[in-house]
Amino acid sequence: MTDTRQFCGHPRDAALSVLARARPDRAAALAESVLDALGEVEVIFSRSGLVMVPMRDTVQGTDFHLGEVLVAEAQIRAAGCLGYGMVAGRDLTRAMSMAVIDAAGQAGIALPAITDFLSAEAAHQQAQDTKRLRDIAATRVDLETL
Amino acid sequence: MTYVASRGGEAAIEQAERLFRAELGPITPRQVDTIRQTLPWLIDRVMGEASLHDRDLAALALAQTGGELYEAVLLLRAWRTTQPRLAVAEVVHLDQTFAHRRISAAFKDLPGGQILGPTLDYSHRLLATDVLDGQTVTPPAVESADMPGAALLPALTDWQKAQGLIDDPTPASVAPDDIPDLTREPLLFPAARAHRLQSLARGDTGGMLALGYSAQRGYAAAHPTVNELRLAEAEVRVRHPDGTPFSVGRVRLSSCEMVSKTTNPDTKAEYLKLGFTATLGWNEVKVIAGSTLDLNMQTGGARPATNEEFVLSHVEPVEASGFCIHLKLPHYVTFQSALDALRGIRRDGGQVRSADEVMEEAEARTAAARNTMEPAQ
Repeated sequence: MTDTRQFCGHPRDAALSVLARARPDRAAALAESVLDALGEVEVIFSRSGLVMVPMRDTVQGTDFHLGEVLVAEAQIRAAGCLGYGMVAGRDLTRAMSMAVIDAAGQAGIALPAITDFLSAEAAHQQAQDTKRLRDIAATRVDLETL
Repeated sequence: MTYVASRGGEAAIEQAERLFRAELGPITPRQVDTIRQTLPWLIDRVMGEASLHDRDLAALALAQTGGELYEAVLLLRAWRTTQPRLAVAEVVHLDQTFAHRRISAAFKDLPGGQILGPTLDYSHRLLATDVLDGQTVTPPAVESADMPGAALLPALTDWQKAQGLIDDPTPASVAPDDIPDLTREPLLFPAARAHRLQSLARGDTGGMLALGYSAQRGYAAAHPTVNELRLAEAEVRVRHPDGTPFSVGRVRLSSCEMVSKTTNPDTKAEYLKLGFTATLGWNEVKVIAGSTLDLNMQTGGARPATNEEFVLSHVEPVEASGFCIHLKLPHYVTFQSALDALRGIRRDGGQVRSADEVMEEAEARTAAARNTMEPAQ
């Protein structure tokens, strides 16, 4: 399902995915920079936990559980908005940075900075994927039956 | 078998644990980082068997156990029980994964092509002993292609189903929260397919290899070929409280289908039959063996690799290793009783005695004992 809502000039689902994979130090710096403008922040939770990942069997179409992924999760209330972050791994700071940026973006705080940050991180992630896909493409086989 | 409580040995136990840990030395954050970075395939194997994806935790478990794999898996399985389950992610579909390697041994021209990815399949296996003489061996860089390939590759089975080469069963619609889950309910036989596949996903690589290999050597009905083998990364997609779906990051997974030609005994018609296995982490031998077992378990039969109860009960790493190593814990009482029986048989010249004879002898002993206790006249 495609979500058409926007977040700081980016589709919201893509923006959240970019935030979850953003470089930790840069996300923390951005979150730190918007904190003053956000005012009082209520931390609803900041915790680690598990997400179970199901997969569809390609032979009989049965959905089954592949295993669990450790995640860090944060939820805050600030400037009248509910900010949320969940990232793979156990880094609570990363999840909190995401939640703070999410709340700030919804509240219309520091929009140019968040928009630029999302663009830069999306480009960085895309560049990493492209580099990897060029390496993988070098291993493509052209088989010839003799 | 019965157990009795015993006491003693506390000091020896304490020092034995210290000896084990002292030999490993201090565990440092840097050491855990090094393990994570330099042993990715071992990390993947441990994550798959632990059924818990986190590279830092897996590296820590390896550091803490000195690489004793079953101990590492046990530590991770135990640790996961301390964590709440926050969500069940969206179902992963193979054709939506970021493919790093994807090959078929059965179909040369599979749609999307043969992508070898990172592999030693066609390499000479030579030990780099120069390193032991003080040299650093640096691998040559990949000569990247000019254009990136596609990250998403179609699933071969989708093409085979469209071609009518294999069955295309309509999947039962199950909400992710209602998918059967072995971490919350017991494995019963015959197992639900979701339980079977989860059991194989968590299975012991060595155990699955041994049983899968037994099938491939002929101790089973089918010794199949790789239909599709894939090493990939899947997005873990959850929902923001406002309902927006997003990915919290990617996890590594391996998947394999094995294919075999089978004849319908009634119609004599030939058709393709497939088995499937996937696991967290990149672990090819496990998913090849696992899908061989899935295929053979569909056939059924008396051979180990065709018997679902046999396979799934014996490839569970924590239960299997736990049972095996518990046998080294004190069993003095049971063994003493076996020794008594053995000595009794030896004393009687190997004669097996009837219950009446045993009772008569016991009564005679009792009488003799009573006589010796009587005061002397």
